[in-house]
Amino acid sequence: MEKKKIIPAELPSEVYRELEAIVGKDWITRDRAILETYSKLSIEGKTTLQKHMKDPTSLHACIVLPATVEEVQAVVRTANKYKVPFIPFTNGQMLCTPTNAKPTICIHLSRMNRVLSIDEDNMTASVEAYADYGQVLADAAKVGLWNGGTPLSTTLCKISSQAAFAGIWQTSKKYGLLDRNIISLTMVLPTGEIFKTGANAIAGVKDFWEYAPGPDLFSLVRGSLGTAGIIVEVTVKLHAWVGGADMPEPPAGRPCIQNFHKPEFDTAPPPDKHRLFWMEFPDYDSEINAFRAIAHSGIGIGLNATGVYNSYYCSQTQEMTEKRVKEKFFPDWNLYVISAGITSDRQIDYEKKVLDAIVAKHHGTYLSQSHKPEVLYALAPWNLDFTRHVTGYRMNRRNYAGGVFFGGAPEIAKHHTKIWKDALSIFGQTYMTDRGGADNTVFLYAVDPAARFNLTETDMYPDPMDVKALQKCMPFMLYGMARNISMKKLPIGFGISLEPMTSFFPEQGPNAYLFFRKIRKILDPNGVSSPGRQIFSEEEYNALAPLMTPLIDKMKKLVAMNPVLAKMLLGTASILGKIKTLTSRKTA
Amino acid sequence: MAIDKKRLMEIFGETNVIDNETLRECYARDQSFEAGVKPDCIVFPGTVEQVQQVVKAAQETGTPLIPYSSGLNLHGAALAKRGGIIVNLSRMNKILTLDEENWFVMVEPGVTYKQLQDFLSKKGYRIMIPFGAPPDRSVLTSYLERDPVLSANSFEYGNNLIMDTELVLPDGEILKTGLWSAGGEPGNSMGPVRNLIFRLWTGAQGTLGIMTKMCLHIMPDIKERKIFFLTFEKLSAAISSLRAIQRKEIGFECFLLNRFNLAALLNPDWKVPEIFPSFPASSPGFDRLRSILPPWVLILSIQGGPLYPEEKIAYETEALKEVCSTLKIELQETLPQVEDAAGLLAHELLYPWGILKKFNYRGSVHDLSFKSPLQDIAAMEAAIMDACSAGGYEPDEVGAYVLCLERGRALHCEFDLHCDVKNAEEAGRVKGVWLKASENLMNQGALFDRPYGPWAEMVYSRAEAYAEKLKAVKREIDPAGIMNPGNLIPL
Repeated sequence: MEKKKIIPAELPSEVYRELEAIVGKDWITRDRAILETYSKLSIEGKTTLQKHMKDPTSLHACIVLPATVEEVQAVVRTANKYKVPFIPFTNGQMLCTPTNAKPTICIHLSRMNRVLSIDEDNMTASVEAYADYGQVLADAAKVGLWNGGTPLSTTLCKISSQAAFAGIWQTSKKYGLLDRNIISLTMVLPTGEIFKTGANAIAGVKDFWEYAPGPDLFSLVRGSLGTAGIIVEVTVKLHAWVGGADMPEPPAGRPCIQNFHKPEFDTAPPPDKHRLFWMEFPDYDSEINAFRAIAHSGIGIGLNATGVYNSYYCSQTQEMTEKRVKEKFFPDWNLYVISAGITSDRQIDYEKKVLDAIVAKHHGTYLSQSHKPEVLYALAPWNLDFTRHVTGYRMNRRNYAGGVFFGGAPEIAKHHTKIWKDALSIFGQTYMTDRGGADNTVFLYAVDPAARFNLTETDMYPDPMDVKALQKCMPFMLYGMARNISMKKLPIGFGISLEPMTSFFPEQGPNAYLFFRKIRKILDPNGVSSPGRQIFSEEEYNALAPLMTPLIDKMKKLVAMNPVLAKMLLGTASILGKIKTLTSRKTA
Repeated sequence: MAIDKKRLMEIFGETNVIDNETLRECYARDQSFEAGVKPDCIVFPGTVEQVQQVVKAAQETGTPLIPYSSGLNLHGAALAKRGGIIVNLSRMNKILTLDEENWFVMVEPGVTYKQLQDFLSKKGYRIMIPFGAPPDRSVLTSYLERDPVLSANSFEYGNNLIMDTELVLPDGEILKTGLWSAGGEPGNSMGPVRNLIFRLWTGAQGTLGIMTKMCLHIMPDIKERKIFFLTFEKLSAAISSLRAIQRKEIGFECFLLNRFNLAALLNPDWKVPEIFPSFPASSPGFDRLRSILPPWVLILSIQGGPLYPEEKIAYETEALKEVCSTLKIELQETLPQVEDAAGLLAHELLYPWGILKKFNYRGSVHDLSFKSPLQDIAAMEAAIMDACSAGGYEPDEVGAYVLCLERGRALHCEFDLHCDVKNAEEAGRVKGVWLKASENLMNQGALFDRPYGPWAEMVYSRAEAYAEKLKAVKREIDPAGIMNPGNLIPL
C-alpha cells in the first residue's frame, strides 16, 4: 500500500475545551492510538478497508466518556452548539466510525454500566446504556426471571445498542426480538433533551408498560441505529426462568487462544428444566415443512435451523472448522428445538411427544446416541448458548466483514440461497467457511411463534490483510440488499435500512424515505446524530448523488432495476401517479 | 373552505355522499360523555384511491376529516369536534387474504369482528378479540386502537398481533409498513427503514392518517379447552394467586370479573344490544345473580395444543392444581350458582360480546380503562371507590373486568359506571364521578395509554416532553391539521 500519513480531522479547540469541562480531563482523549482502536473494532469490514486505504475519515476527532445522563446531555448540546456530528458507541462491534467526513465526537458509554433494578413484581429490568445481557441474565435468574434470550452476537452485547437495532435471540420463536421486549427507553435526543417512552413518559406512573399515551413514539427510535439520539437507560421485559438461580456457564478459565481446544469447555449440559432436541431431515422440503409444523404445534421456546453453520459455531479451531466444512460433518438439513419445562416437568415430555409425531411425519431422524452420536456431541456448545451466547464469535475467528439478513416465511431460506449463489457467480469466491447461503442448507431463525417470520443470514469472512477480498465485500452486501429489493422485499430482514439503501432505493417503500426525512428533521434538526447513517437529508442526498449514482446504477443494472437517475427525475409516488394519469389521458 | 360537494360526488359517486340533517345529527354523538358537532357530510369510500383523493382534497381546502369505521369506539374518538367530513370506511369490508400456511388474514377497515370470526371459524381458525368488543366493531380499528384482546395474558398472542399495514398519510400519499412495503407479499410488521414503525399510528385515534389495510395474526380454533374458576372476596386477594399461576404460564386466557359484570354476562334476561346507548331494562335475573355470585371470580382457560390437546390440558391442569393446593385456594370447574357457566364462558372466549348486556342496566356505560401494575390494583380500586362514595354513586353498581397481561406483568382494567344519558341530572352526576375517578386513578399512577376525550389533556399534562414531540410529529406530517382535529393531540 501507498505510504502516507493519516491525519485525523480536528474540532475547533473550544469544542475540546467544552467537552473536557463536561467530562473531566481524564475522560476525553485525542490520543492517536486510542482513536485508532475506536475506529477498528471487531466485525466491520468497511473500517478494515479504510485502514488499508489510509482514510482519515475512519478516525474520530475525539472520544468522550460521560458518566451520567446529564453529562451525555451536555456533550450532545455542545455538539449541537457547534454543529458537530457525534456517534454513540458501546461495544463498537459495528457502526463504530464517523458517518461522514466531518470531525466527529465519539461518545463512549462504558462508564454507564449498571443494572439499575430488577423489578420482580412487574417482571422488568432497568439498565444503563453499557449494561450487557450477561449482567441482566445473572441478576434476573436470582429471582426466577430472565429477559428471554441472548443475542447471536454474544451475551456481551449492550442492551441499549440492540434496542437501537432489533436484537435476535435463539429463543426469538417464543419471545420475539428485543424490539418487542422493551418497556421503555430513556433517550438523550439529538438536541440534548431527555425523552422517555412507555409508561415511564408520564410523571407519577411506574415504568411497567410499553405504551405511552396515544401514538407510540418509540416507533421513531426503535431501529434508528443511533440516528435518533442516545439511549441512556432501557427497561426490558423479563419472563419466567426455571433454569435455576445461578445462570449456568461453562467452566471458567478458558484461555483466550485462537486455536485452543479442550472438550470440557464445550460440553456443558443445558440448564435445569431445559432440553435441546436436534434432528435432521432428508431434504430441503421436508425440513422446511417440519420447521413450520413444529412452530404451528406451539411447542418450544426456540426453533432454529443452523445447517453447516455449525462447522464454525461448534468447532474450536479454524483447522477443525475447515475440515468439517469440507467433509460435510454436520448434516445439511438439521434443526433444533429448545424445550423448557416452565409449567412443569411434564411440559417437556409433552413437547417431546409432539415433536416425535412431527419428526416421523416429515421423515426426520433425531441425532442421538444411536444416530450420529459424534455429531450430537459436537453440537453440545449450543446447550448453553441460548443463555450465554459465545459460539457465534467463533465465526469472527478470521474476520467478519458483514452479512446480509433476509426475513420472511420459512421458504425465505431457498430465496436466500439463490441470491447468494448468483452473487458468488458474479463476484467470485470471497470467503472460506460460510457456506450457509450458497450451499444447499437451511439457516433459519424463527422469530414468531408460528414461524410466520424468520430470519436468515449469510456472512463474509475475508482475510483482513487481503485488500482485494475486502473490496469485494461491499458489492456483495449491496448486491444482496439490492437483489432483495428488486424482488420486492426489504433490504434487511429486520425491516431496518441503512444508507445508501434508504434514499437510493426508494423502491423499498412508496414514500418511505420522504417520510423518514421528515421524522429526522423533528428529532435531529441540526443533523448531528450519526448523520447520514440511516436516512440522508435532501441536502446530503443531493451532495452525494453525483458521486454515488454511477456505482448504485451499476448495482441496479445487475439486479434489473431502473437506474437512480430515472428515479430521481420521477421523484415520488405522487409524481409517478401524475405521469401515469397524464399518459392515460393522452392515450384516451 | 370546505370541499365542494360536487367534487365529493365526483370522487365517491352521488350515493356515497350524504349530507342530510338527520344522519349528520346521528354522527354528532355516541354513547360517551363526549360532545361532537354535526359533520358537514358523510362520505363512503369504496377504494384506497378514493380515500387518497378525499385526503388530498381536504389538504387543499383545510377540511377536517374524521376517519370512521364502525362507529363503535364508544369513547367519542370518531366524533367531529370541528365539523368537516366523516370518512365512513364501512364499505371497505373485504377479507382480502387468508394465509393458512402462515396464519394471518388481511382485512379492510370495514371488516367486523363477527364477520371475521365467522369466516375464520368455518376454516378452522380464530382471531383474538377483546372482551366486550361489539360484534360489529371494526377489527382494524380495534387493533389499531390497542383494544387488549382476551388472550393478552399470553405473550405470544397478546400484544403483538398486527403485521403489515397500509396507510393513507395526511398528505394523501400511501405508506405501507411491514414486509410488503417494497411491493411484495405481506408477512411481518418490520419495516420500512425502522422495525416497528406501524406502531406510530396505534392509539392515534385517526389523527395521523387513515389505515386502509391490516394483516393480523390468527391461530387454529382449538376446540379442546377447560375452564376453571377461582373465587375471591376481594380483588386484592386474587393477586397472589394470579401471580403464582402465571409465573408457571398456565392457561391461555386469564381474567377477573366482579359480580356485577359476571351477573350481566350470565343473565339470560338480557340480550346484547345493537345500538349504543341502549335502553335501560330491569331484570330480576340480573338482580338474583348479583345477590348470589361471589364478589370476584378469576376465569382461567386452559387450551389444548394442535397435537395431543388433551395431554397439554392435563399437564397444565395438574400444575394448576398444585399451585392452588400450595396457596390453599379452591379450584372450581363450575360455578355452583350458575348452570353451565363453563360452557357459557367457553363461548365467550371466541365471541366475547355477551358482556355488552351490561348496557341494559342503565343504557350507557362509561368505563375507566387503564393499566395497572399487579401489586397496585387494590389501590386503584380504592381510588375509584373513593370517587364513587364522594359523588353518590353506589359502589355495588360498578362493573369491573381485569385482564392479565403478559403473564402478570401488568393488568388491563375496565371499571364501569352506568347511567341513563337521556336523564341529564343522572348523566351529569355520573360524569362528575367518572372524571373524579379518572383523576384519582391518574394520581394513583394508573396508566391511561388510550386517552380518549378529557383523558388526553389530563394525561398529556403529566407527560409534557412526550406531548411536545407528539405535537411536533403531528405538525410535520399533518401541517394543515386536517386529521381528526380536536381529538387526542392538542395543537
